[in-house]
This record gives sequence, structure tokens and C-alpha cells, in this order.
Amino acid sequence: MTLRMKQALIAALGLLFMVSLIFVQWMEVARRREEAGVSVKRVHAPASSAACVECHAKVSTGIIDHWKGSTHAEKGVGCVECHQAGDADVDAFQHYGATIATIVTPKDCSRCHRTEADEFMASHHAKAGNILASLDNFLAETVEGAREPFSPHSPTLGRNITMVNGMASAESGCKQCHGAKIALESTDGALITVDDLKPNEDGIPTARDVAARVKRNEEGRPMLHSSSWPNTGIGRLNLDGSRGSCSACHSRHDFSPRRARQPENCGKCHLGPDHPQKEVYEESKHGVAYRDLFQQMNLDAKDWVLGVDYSQAPTCATCHMSGHSRNGGKITHDPGRRISWTNRPPVSLVMDTDARGAVVKTADPEKRREEVKSTWQEKRDQMTQVCTHCHAQNYVTAFYRQYDDFVLNYNEKFAKPGQQLMAALRQAKLITDKEFDEEIEWTWFYLWHHEGRRARHGASMMAPDYAHWHGMYEVAERFYVEMIPQARELARHAESEGKTEEAKTVLTVIDAILARPEHAWFESQKAEKAATP
Amino acid sequence: MMTRLAAWWRERVPVSGVQLRELTNEPVPNHLKKWWFALGGTPAYLFVVQIVTGILLAFYYQPAPSTAYESIRFITQDVAYGWYFRSLHKWGATFMIAAVILHQMRVYFTCAYRRPRELNWVIGMCLLMTTLLTGFTGYSLVYEQLSYWGAQVAANISNAVPVVGGVAKHMLLGGEVYNERTLPRLYILHAAVLPTTIVLLVIVHVAFIRVHGVTELRFPDEDVAKPSHYDFFPDHLYTELSIGLVLMILLSAVSTIFPAMIGPKADPLTTPEVIKPEWFFYVSFRWLKLFSLTFAVLSTGFIVLAMFAWPWIDSALRRLTGSDDASVYIGIVATFLLVGLTVWEAVVEH
Amino acid sequence: MAEHGEARGRVSDGGEPDGGEPNGRRLFLRAAMGGGLAAGYGTFAMMAGKFLYSGGGSAVGWQFVATVDSVGIGESIAYAAPNGAKLVVTRQSEGETADCFTALSSVCPHLGCQVHWEPQNERFFCPCHNGAFDREGNPTEGPPLAARQILTRFPLKVENGLLYVETPLTTLADAGDAEVRGAAPGGPIG
Repeated sequence: MTLRMKQALIAALGLLFMVSLIFVQWMEVARRREEAGVSVKRVHAPASSAACVECHAKVSTGIIDHWKGSTHAEKGVGCVECHQAGDADVDAFQHYGATIATIVTPKDCSRCHRTEADEFMASHHAKAGNILASLDNFLAETVEGAREPFSPHSPTLGRNITMVNGMASAESGCKQCHGAKIALESTDGALITVDDLKPNEDGIPTARDVAARVKRNEEGRPMLHSSSWPNTGIGRLNLDGSRGSCSACHSRHDFSPRRARQPENCGKCHLGPDHPQKEVYEESKHGVAYRDLFQQMNLDAKDWVLGVDYSQAPTCATCHMSGHSRNGGKITHDPGRRISWTNRPPVSLVMDTDARGAVVKTADPEKRREEVKSTWQEKRDQMTQVCTHCHAQNYVTAFYRQYDDFVLNYNEKFAKPGQQLMAALRQAKLITDKEFDEEIEWTWFYLWHHEGRRARHGASMMAPDYAHWHGMYEVAERFYVEMIPQARELARHAESEGKTEEAKTVLTVIDAILARPEHAWFESQKAEKAATP
Repeated sequence: MMTRLAAWWRERVPVSGVQLRELTNEPVPNHLKKWWFALGGTPAYLFVVQIVTGILLAFYYQPAPSTAYESIRFITQDVAYGWYFRSLHKWGATFMIAAVILHQMRVYFTCAYRRPRELNWVIGMCLLMTTLLTGFTGYSLVYEQLSYWGAQVAANISNAVPVVGGVAKHMLLGGEVYNERTLPRLYILHAAVLPTTIVLLVIVHVAFIRVHGVTELRFPDEDVAKPSHYDFFPDHLYTELSIGLVLMILLSAVSTIFPAMIGPKADPLTTPEVIKPEWFFYVSFRWLKLFSLTFAVLSTGFIVLAMFAWPWIDSALRRLTGSDDASVYIGIVATFLLVGLTVWEAVVEH
Repeated sequence: MAEHGEARGRVSDGGEPDGGEPNGRRLFLRAAMGGGLAAGYGTFAMMAGKFLYSGGGSAVGWQFVATVDSVGIGESIAYAAPNGAKLVVTRQSEGETADCFTALSSVCPHLGCQVHWEPQNERFFCPCHNGAFDREGNPTEGPPLAARQILTRFPLKVENGLLYVETPLTTLADAGDAEVRGAAPGGPIG
């Protein structure tokens, strides 16, 4: 090789080396870009919370670890940003130089997350605390326990039990999902709740005298009563007048959107014999696809928009809350916005809602037109937008026809007759006004509250076994084999006691129901058999 | 102005270009135009690459158990081009050791170590040992699981050497066990002691070559009429420059395609399920698994000693067998053994 | 290198058959070789420089300060950065954008004392040597005015009605225990 060629070769190789370095540079840029998206993020405690983090990392490692994994930590939102309280807040106390409160309410969260809090406040979720005086609660508070503490039946070995808290079932059961009415202990031994404090718009109690009676421990910390705390029920009635708890879904202290997007999160409450939405979902093709593909579903994505970030399968959040490509990725914190039937009451109602988000129940067409601010059809259209990310429009339309038919069949064949029968019994005074003190009241409750809801939820979310065997089959059995015979028995018993008139009214109602074509099959042959000697 | 400046310079540095040229201009035998005879320059070039990248990495590396791993992570993930320079350093080491071994094999099979070049062979062996040690200490600095356990195992192997083993282990670890003063030791060995040793050895190595001249080889197909030598400068320098550039391109390519990763951080309480040293220790690692520790260590020591003494063993063999090629046959067997053991270790998990 | 070679070219190239080569062509090849080497190793050197200079991932980050609507016009809030640096964040005007705010270091550029806002005088005042700054951080009195030293400004941004400031995150004190999270599973590290 001549020197000339060598020189040329070196020139060429030098340039090639540069080209390879340019490739290295390109890799570097690509890597940086990728890194900016997902991978390593460093977390530094904001100075305002540095002391909290240092101490709590030792005394309660878990909450600090969770927080370090949160977006809050990344963006410099520490402990005091959420826990800070005003001096006038009834549950505020001094904690190493900071004025804080234990419970962080949606009002606190709304300091930054205004829209989310507003949507949530308008939702049925936020009203879950209303149960605290309703029928279901009568079950837990009276039937399962007792409203007043009672003395023990006999001694408990090794413990000195003098009184039993009859509200225990409500506290560990109902309230953990529905939300407790947060209560502070008072110096006079009573409990102080939002009802006593009468907070103004800023959450500051107007009943100053009540606020002054709050009992504090030796550190000066207001004492939350164990009947109401710990509690992250979604309709919690907070001391500042706000309702609900954001951590019901966005578990503290990592406030993970990822977790809120997963069905397991909703499954804390939406499961069981009376509203098995989680199980219904798991049985459906939607749930099966999710279980298979969740790792590809980008659950960590910033906005998690259906049709943009993922489309493998829907979770609860996907259909009821999350943004999708057809609505500009707009998420709602009101899960009722896309629901067209409410299957909660004994008889399903269409979701024509008023300004406060409540279902309009008046029959007067004029009044309806006036009160309804959002129709069930609008809500169904919103849900359809989600469905059509994977299904054709005519598929969705036909599905909704199946679903409507199912709900109407339940409503008209069992729910409305059942309601009519119960009303007749009560009116004829064959049963008392008190719930659950007669067998037929339990029967009716099972029919609509457990089996009827299971059936409707099964149909609404494509779980055939829930629609049929766990649902309509049991509804029918309950109706024909228990409710009708029990009602007749009540009537016969009344007759034997001389209440002929009352018994007759009830029997007429029963016969009228069973004479309808959809029920005629039940006694037609028995009647023939009875007629032939 | 320029002439005055040049005059000023010449007065202070009274070395002319011609003098410099004569100083460096060793006539180079023609066979060095074939690349496999120029393999001695390759490790030298790679050594320079290692020094440059090593200095760059040293700006960020922190040799303490609490910081080492994080600083490596920082270099790899956060510093601009950090992954590239770290990968260059890693692959440079691999290439360098490979080049040293190839160079040595070339010298061995062409019997270039024979009289009067025996001592340069010994220097070369010293260079091989130092290079391997540098590779080992460098790998230990990453402080990932395999680095940590590699160092641990190696220290205990040296412990098995009779008489001096315990002292060697204590010197290497700075104590009886791997402790917080071990990493600084490994670091100073890797970044100061061993490189300096290499530089000094290379100087002696090259000086010997200059004194003896490069071993002359003539191939039967060569044209006798052509000059048998060419100039080191600039002709051979150009060759070396081309080789250098090719090496840089290769290194950049493998560094980009197979960048250096970080394994899990060292955990002194858990030995990983699969533990392997760097590839150049596969042979001795496999050897260790085949025999008892004492035998393996002693036999390895014996083999290394024999390699050091090969020029004299070779002359004894020649006298004994009367053949010139005994060493070559032994070399072929040894090569197969080396490659075989390395491949064996590479393909199995345990 | 090419230059040295030229000076001695005649002797060294003696054995090569390029003596009759036109001078321009030889010069060009030499320049090309020099250029090739410079291009390759020069780029390498530039990357090495960047490696040494960068110091790696940014030690600054966007940190939440306050909600935009919680700060009234002219109102200042004290914000402490994760590294302990004290900042004064002031709303300068009505509006929802970052331009309506300033985030000034409260360290006096003169000798490092802490300045504070005096609402009655509408100025930041440093009690050590009577230095004063207006609400934008420009010096108005005392040694800082003489030396034309302004209060350091930190970048601000507004997202969803929340005000963020870009501040240093670490100090020497917490070197080494920076928390790392969420490396993508199985993601490449190099």
C-alpha cells in the first residue's frame, strides 16, 4: 500500500469514526428523550416538609415510601401542602411547629384539584353518606346490632367487657364504604360532628361554642372518635362540611392514578351479594381481556386516554370515568355521567337527573321537563362514545336493546308487582310499618336488593351467569316460591283472625298479579287440577 | 515574527525534527505490513483509549461502598455520553486483553521469544499479568453483585496460595474480609498502580525491541529484490493510525449496540444464583471447578511459572527432542485447551 | 502532524514512488488525512468535554409553590427550596400566567444576608448594610446599587392554576442518598 493510499484511508476512517460518533450522539438524544418520559425520577422533600419526611421515614416508613413514589413528591408537594390547617379549623393542632389536621378532606384537595373535586361533589359517590339514616342502615344499626350500647350477655374470659357497642357492624361495615360522619370527642362526653359545627363555606365552624368544647389529648391534638375514624368511605361527612374522601380511590400516600384505574380499586366496595359489579366485570369478556392484557395497558400513562394510550380492555374507570379519544380525553370524577339506568332502587329508573345530579322522580311531564337537566339519553350517548372505540354503532345499539329489555322485564314482571304487593300488605296492616320484623320483608329485600340487582348488573355488564342463575332465576324463585305463598299465608292468618276484608284485598291483588299473562303459567294447571274432582 | 518565535522555541528546545525522526525511525521489516504481525501496537493503542476513558470516568467515580454503585449509575444514566464512555472503557478492556493474548500467541507461534529475546518475553508475560489484574480490579469497582462476589471469590482463591496467600489476600482486601476500605484499594490499584506498572513495562518492552530489532521473518513467496524494510515514520505510523481508527469505530459500534449495563447492587448477604467472572477468567474459573482448590491454585501457579520460563524450557525441549517445532505442538494443544475451557464455562450456568 | 511530515517529507517518502506526484495533490491528501483525524478525534474530544461539563442529570426541578389564586397582587410568600434556599415569590400583577409572578432569591448578592419585603416601602430590604431592591429585584439603595447587583430570579411556570418554580434540588449534605424510583422494568440502562 502506498503512503498516498494510506493517507486517503486514514482520512476515510477518520470520517467514518466521526459518523459512528454521530450515531452515538443520536443514541444519546434518543435515550434522553425516552428518559424524560418514564424512567428514573428523583424525589426531593420540599423544604417545607423536610423535617416531616426525616422523622416519619423512621417512625412510619410506609407512608414515606408511598409518598416518594407519588407524583406529588416529584412535583414538590410534601406533607404540609395537604395536611396544613388554619388556626380556626376545628381539628387543627400544633405538630412540631406546623398547624396541621389529621384528616385531609376533598376541600383540602380542591385547593389544587378544583375541577376534580367539583365533579366528585356532584356525583352519587359523594352522596353515599346519605345511607346513614336509610333502610340499609337500619339493618346494620338495629337488626344486626343496637343503636344504644347494651350490656354483655355473659363475661368474656380475659377481658373486662362492661358494655357492647351495638353500632359496630355499621362502623366496620356500612361506613367503611359509604363514609362515616366524622366525630370529635367533646369535653362534655358527647360527640361533635359537622351538624353541630355548622361550618361556613370555608369550612370554618360557625358554632364557636361547640368548637370550643373539642376535647384534646395531652399533646393538644383533637380527639377523633373511633366510631368515625379511621374511615375513608367515599361519602364521608367531614368536619369542614365537605363530603367524601379522595383517598377512597386515590389511596394515600401515593395517590396513585394507576391504582384508581384498576378494577381491584373499585372492588373494595362494589362486590358481594347485593352489587357484585367487580365479580360481574371479572366474568365478562371485558374483565377477562383486562386480566390477560393489563401489562400492556399503559396504566402509568399521564392521562390514560382510551384509544390513545391503550385500547386492550376497559376497566371500571375506562367506561365510567376516564377520558377517551372521542371526548378529547376528558376525565370525569362523577361516575354517573354515562349511566342510563339506575339499578339501585327496587324498580330501575332512567337517569334523568336534576341540577344536583339527583334522579328526577316526578311523573308530571311539565315538571319533568323543568327539572331534568341531563337526560338518560345524553348519558347513554356518552357511554356509547366509549363503547364504539371497540364496537360498531349497531352492535352497541343492539346491546342496549337487550339491556333495556332485560331491565324492563325485571321491572314489570317482578319489581313493580312485588312493590304493589308489599304496599297492599302494609296498607291492610297485615304487616307492621317496621322493616325486617316479618319474614316477607326479608323475602322482598332479597328479591330486589340482592337478586334483582345482581341480575340487572349482570345484564348491564355482560355477565350472563349473573344475569341468569345468580339473578333472574333467583328473583323468580323468590317471587313464586316464597313471596306469593308468604303473602297468602299472611292473608289466611288474617282471615282466621277475622280480618276478612283486609285479607280479601290482599288476595285480590295477588290474584290480579298472577292472572296477568306473564304470570298465568304458574297456576293455570293447578287451577284445572283443583277444578276437576 | 514567526521566525523569531521559531528561533525562541529552538533555543529552548534544542531538538530538531530530523533528530526526532532519526530517534524514532526504526526500520520496520516488511512482514509487519501484515496486520497480525502488528498486534503489539493494538494493545498499546487500546491502552491509550483506556487511559483517556478511564480518566474521564474517574471524574465521577466515587470509590466507597455507599457511593460506588450510585456513581456508576449516575455516569451511566445521567451524565452526557456517560454510558458511551463507560461502554468504551468496558469494551476497550475486552479488546485490549484479547489483543494482548493474540499478540502473545503470534510471538509464541513464530518463536520470536528465542535467544536473545527471552527477557522481552518475560516482560511481555508481566504485561499480560498486569493487564489481567487491571481488568479484574476494574470489574470489581462497579460494585454490582457480580463485581462484589468476584472480588470476594478471587481474594479467597489467593488465600489458598501456600505461604504468601494470606498476606496477598490481606493486602488486596485491606483486611481479612471485604470491608469499606477494600474498594479504595482496588481503585488505586486499578487507576494508579497497575497502569503505571504497565507504562513502565511497555517502555522496557519497546526499548528491548529497539535494541534487538524486530524479529526478521521472510516468507517464501516474497520478492527478494524488494527492500526488506520500510520506514517506521511515516509509513508504519500510518498503518497504526488506520488500525487505531478502525478500533475506535469498532469500539463505538459495540458500545452502542451492547452498552455496559448495571446489574443489581452488591449485596454482601446474598450470593447470586449464577456467578461468573469476566470472560478472560473463564479458563481459571472452569479449572477451579474441575479440581480441588489447592490443586487448582498450585497447578495454575505452575502453568504461569512455566509460561514465564518458556524461552528456556523451549531451548531445553529443542535440545531434548532435536526438533524445532515441539513448542509449536505444545502451543496448539494449549490453545485448544484454553479455548475449550473458556467455551465450556461460557455455555454452562454452573 | 501533517505539517511536521511536510518538513521532512522529502527524506521519508524517498523510498515511495510518489516523488513525481503534483504538489497540490500531495498537499490535499495530507490535509484530508489531517482533516479526517481531526474530525474523528475532534468529535470524540468534544463529547468528552460535554461529559466532563454536564455533571449529568439536572440538579434542578420544578417544584410546587402555591395555587395561583391564593396569592394576591403585591403579596409575597416565602418558599423554601428542597436544598434549603429561601425564595420570595411575589405576585406582580393580575393574571393567571407565570409572568404575573417573580421568584427572587432572598439572599442579598452583596454579602449573603437575608433580605425581606417591606410592604410600606415597597422594597426588599437587607438589614446588614441597608441594601434595598424594588419588587422586581433591581437594586435601589446601598451597596447592591453601587455594584449593580440584582436579586437572583428563578424561573416560574403555571400549570392547571398551580404555580411551580424551578429550583436546585440537592445540597452537598444529601449527596449519595438521593431517592431513585420507577426505573422502567427491564428498561435499558446504557
